[in-house]
Amino acid sequence: MGVSIVSREQTQTEIEKNNEQENKDVDSQKSSSGLVIFWKELLNDKLALVSLIFFTLVTLFVFGVSLILDQDQVVRVDLFAIYEPPSSEFWLGTDYGGRDVFGQLIIGTRNSLSIGFLVTLISGVIGVVFGVVSGYFGGHVDNFLMRIVDFFMVLPFFMLVIVFVSVAPDYNVWTFSLIMAAFLWMGIARLIRSKALQEKELDYAQASRTLGSSHFSIIFKQVLPNITSLVVVTMTLNLAANIGIESGLSFLGFGFPEDTPSLGTLLSYTTNPTTLEERWWIWLPAAILILLLMLAVRNVGEALKRAADARQRRA
Amino acid sequence: MTLLKVDDLKVHFPIRGGILNRKIDSIKAVDGVSFEIQPGETYGLVGESGSGKTTTGKAVMGLNKITGGEIYFKDELLNAGKKVNIRKDIQMIFQDPYSSLNPRKRVLDIIAEPLRNYEKLSKKEEKKKVQELLEKVGLSPESILKYPHEFSGGQRQRIGVARAIALKPKLIIMDEPVSALDVSVQAQVLNFMQDLQKELNLTYLFISHDLGVVKHMCDRIGIMYNGRYVEEGTKEEIFNDPQHIYTKRLVAAIPDINPQNRKENLEFREEVKNEFSNSFNNYFDEEGLAYQLKPVTDTHRVALPEKG
Repeated sequence: MGVSIVSREQTQTEIEKNNEQENKDVDSQKSSSGLVIFWKELLNDKLALVSLIFFTLVTLFVFGVSLILDQDQVVRVDLFAIYEPPSSEFWLGTDYGGRDVFGQLIIGTRNSLSIGFLVTLISGVIGVVFGVVSGYFGGHVDNFLMRIVDFFMVLPFFMLVIVFVSVAPDYNVWTFSLIMAAFLWMGIARLIRSKALQEKELDYAQASRTLGSSHFSIIFKQVLPNITSLVVVTMTLNLAANIGIESGLSFLGFGFPEDTPSLGTLLSYTTNPTTLEERWWIWLPAAILILLLMLAVRNVGEALKRAADARQRRA
Repeated sequence: MTLLKVDDLKVHFPIRGGILNRKIDSIKAVDGVSFEIQPGETYGLVGESGSGKTTTGKAVMGLNKITGGEIYFKDELLNAGKKVNIRKDIQMIFQDPYSSLNPRKRVLDIIAEPLRNYEKLSKKEEKKKVQELLEKVGLSPESILKYPHEFSGGQRQRIGVARAIALKPKLIIMDEPVSALDVSVQAQVLNFMQDLQKELNLTYLFISHDLGVVKHMCDRIGIMYNGRYVEEGTKEEIFNDPQHIYTKRLVAAIPDINPQNRKENLEFREEVKNEFSNSFNNYFDEEGLAYQLKPVTDTHRVALPEKG
């Protein structure tokens, strides 16, 4: 056996030599952090880069401008300016109540984005906690939690949201987000659970047990950091979906009322055939904006996804 | 005083199936294993894949549910309970240095994890302690802010060792600590562990399938097969005077580095192989399990059949 033959002195000097060598190697090649990898991936994928810039600009613009813009002013009915086409006074014309469409578009985009962010955040937090706890403990805990997930999944999403929206006493961006998030966390929970099931079997999770760490600290300090890339990617992709869902609900008339504009309420003007055919300025900008925003978020999400997985990386 | 006493340890894993996920059978990963470890010695646990040696180690560590039997550490019962202060004295070094270190944590956080759990140190003391530990295992103290993937396999295993000795444990369970390393690094790590044992007065439970490594490291050895002990004795007894047919075959399989003996070795192995297949039924019961251990000398116990 080779081990016993190598003499002690020889190995000692070898250790020192190796250590020197390895220390040198380690210093010279610092591996790049997650953000750097993501940035490289973006530079390589021009479409994603443009998408990110577009999305950031739109977000900053609508949140910035809506600070100055007075919502009551925008949604005030003006009977002398019904269905005005675009002009220097009303950049995107007016609707049937004489309300400025451009102002509604700005505030509507802000509302839609806020809801998108909030829903993604709330459903993400619930889903991640549910999934990681379920996957980590496994067994009966997993069984129980996953049956709750199954229960929520068989519920008819749109019908329930519509019911809750109708009965909610105080109806605003926050309550609407909560109602939506309550039925949108299951997908994330399932995804995170499957990943947590894998992670907890790895030696480092077991090692933490032997070092006296509690389950709580293993779940949130050891396992969760290893799942973050997955969390970030899913949440980004969900953001696009959630903006779409909000618009859909508002289009159906179960989102916001007209005095709280959103991209969906602008779209819902198309239920009037004359508006659809002849007054494009009311709905077309909103439709294009929804399309572009969702595409932009999706492109960034895909780039993130590739950055998180070395096998898919292009850069 | 006995440091660790394992008495009739059983770890069975249920096989579930049928309607309502009932327990229909069980895998007896460890089935009635008893041994004792004295302070300061290195006890080797040897066996083929699936013989239950790792499961035994993990049961002692508290990572597996114990089906039956008792584990005493310094005369205190250690079954699955939350004896925090005793658990602190038993640490483990894992087989795979690539998966046993959290890839998202810096070396500082990895080695400080046990310290944060048991000792309340200030940030400064903690950093100093971690640097001392790194120095002790032969790594540069400047590397505390690096991530595990920036190290080689041998260096990673040293980080694992530093983490295991951070709490000054009495017993360290080493689950094939060098199997994932190449032979030249194996020698480094093993010799370094022996030095560490002398320096810190440690006791090792050394789990391995590599007889050469075991011969190099261990004072006493237990041989496992199919969840049971087939033979236990000192290093000399096991390697020079194997009594059980399974041990004989295992020892005969150790490669000899001298090519001149090649023919004789081959013949000897053939002979042992024939003896093994001819007398297999004498040494194992109908299920292919080993019999109860019977003492041959004071230190040597062998699972010989009733009829002798």
